[in-house]
Amino acid sequence: MNSRPTLVRDLLVLLAFAGWALALPHYGSEFMVSMALTCLMYVALSSSWGLFCGSTRYMSLATSAFFGVGAYTSAVFLGQLSWVESIALGAALSAVVAVLMGLAVLHLRGTYFAVLTFGMTELIMYAVIYFEKRYSGTVGRVLTVVPENDVIYLTVLLLAMLAVLLSILLRRSRFGLALMGIGADEQRAQTLGVNTRLIKTAGFALTAAFGGAVGAAMAVRWTYIDPHTVFNPFIGFQTVLIALIGGAVTLWGPLIAAIVFSVLAETLRLQFPQIYMMSLGLLLILCVLYLPGGLASLRGSTFTGWWQDSRQWWRQLGRKEHKNG
Amino acid sequence: MAEVFLEARDITVRFGGLTAVDAVSATFHAGELVGIIGPNGAGKTTFFNAISGVIAPTSGQLVAGGRSLAGRPPHHYAAAGVARTFQTPRVFADMTVAANIDFGLKFAGRKRAGAWHLRDEQSILELIGLAQLAGRPAAAITPSQQRVLEIGMALATRPRMLLLDEVAAGLTEAEVHDMAQLITRMRDELDLTVVWIEHAVSTLLRYVERVIVLHQGRKIADGTPQEVVRNAEVIEAYLGDEMEEAAA
Repeated sequence: MNSRPTLVRDLLVLLAFAGWALALPHYGSEFMVSMALTCLMYVALSSSWGLFCGSTRYMSLATSAFFGVGAYTSAVFLGQLSWVESIALGAALSAVVAVLMGLAVLHLRGTYFAVLTFGMTELIMYAVIYFEKRYSGTVGRVLTVVPENDVIYLTVLLLAMLAVLLSILLRRSRFGLALMGIGADEQRAQTLGVNTRLIKTAGFALTAAFGGAVGAAMAVRWTYIDPHTVFNPFIGFQTVLIALIGGAVTLWGPLIAAIVFSVLAETLRLQFPQIYMMSLGLLLILCVLYLPGGLASLRGSTFTGWWQDSRQWWRQLGRKEHKNG
Repeated sequence: MAEVFLEARDITVRFGGLTAVDAVSATFHAGELVGIIGPNGAGKTTFFNAISGVIAPTSGQLVAGGRSLAGRPPHHYAAAGVARTFQTPRVFADMTVAANIDFGLKFAGRKRAGAWHLRDEQSILELIGLAQLAGRPAAAITPSQQRVLEIGMALATRPRMLLLDEVAAGLTEAEVHDMAQLITRMRDELDLTVVWIEHAVSTLLRYVERVIVLHQGRKIADGTPQEVVRNAEVIEAYLGDEMEEAAA
């Protein structure tokens, strides 16, 4: 799995994907480009989420918090700072928030961790609302200095590629191994010499930095933001869903699922607006039941397995009917 | 006597109102093979957890290799050269046998030069006798092989002291013999301090040089196997006073 040929293959696939995404604005319709942008945003969010949460199995619902912090950073500073600087600042501030949050909740596991990260997201959102009302005297903010659409697209593309590239490289590093060890058996990893607190905090901050950078880049697309849109918990849920549907521990899962999910969601929304959410829910249930390893774990044998299972089921059904009749 | 590697002074561990380990002091010398025995619930594993950093002692001091360690997280113990195994093997099931060994080498074992037998993944696999299974996932080997792998993982941290928690439990007579040989070999060739907990007393007494007996969280005896089996308090702890009644 960590051999050189796989590394070369992964890098080539990433390069090909980047080339395709780069070429898209030149031939695609405006609708396609805007969909591709959403897609890339979720590639960046889900891949970076998988980096930490996938391998350590700490399920964070705080992506919206980091996204929102990034969005507000560019809303406040984009006038004074350059585009690149405000995105870097968004990433840095989110990482700081993650370190503080991590110190408070990273010793908890499972449901407790998930619920607390969600709670903290709400806390941050209401803190921002309070601050804005009390001191800035506004509900939302209007972004006046807005870069070209091409710049936004390229930035988000770059962030998405960076997230996948980092996933590829981290898998081969000590840091990545430590994260895997924490996911497999945290205490055992500790007794073998891993400073788990440090590794977890660093990993969480890394994930958060991506959330912040993506938030800072995407905020300008809305031109008007308020806390309820940029701290929308749905952003966090969707990130987790995509990572889980794709396979959170796999490298390509989040990327594949981000594409499948975005295309599917758009199609369903346009074609069958009534059953849009219902069918997404159904899809998630089916994925969890029949594809626990995610889309990336799909192989030819998975399909033959399903085929055999269903044939067996039919045969049993037939036998029962026979007995009864 | 050789130098002292680990010294535990008045280690006490309390869980709520229950005192699992009550002011136990013990000294472990470099290159020594020590056994810890005691009836069920005597506090053996809790004492082990306390001297390997897995749980922080409620009070007491711990000095290993010159460093004061009580209350620090487990990776500090690993860095000081204290390695351990767990009663139920806790191998990384999804990784291969070789990757399990590699883990310790990449973390606590990284900054230390190991003995010849601990120079790399391959040499450790050969020492513990799992070289043929290197490429297999750890979940796919037998439980007794996983026990051995646990020891290999601990050795990969290139420790000076090895804490073995019931490594012979559930093994066949032949496997116990192999395990004991491996343990003696590690002590002799790697110059390790080995502390071995076992529930089956007779197995353990055959191989160790010194025995510490715990009973209801307290240390009731500390000496050679010959001394300990004649100790009245130990006999009572294990057999109750039926022994005396029978003698009278």
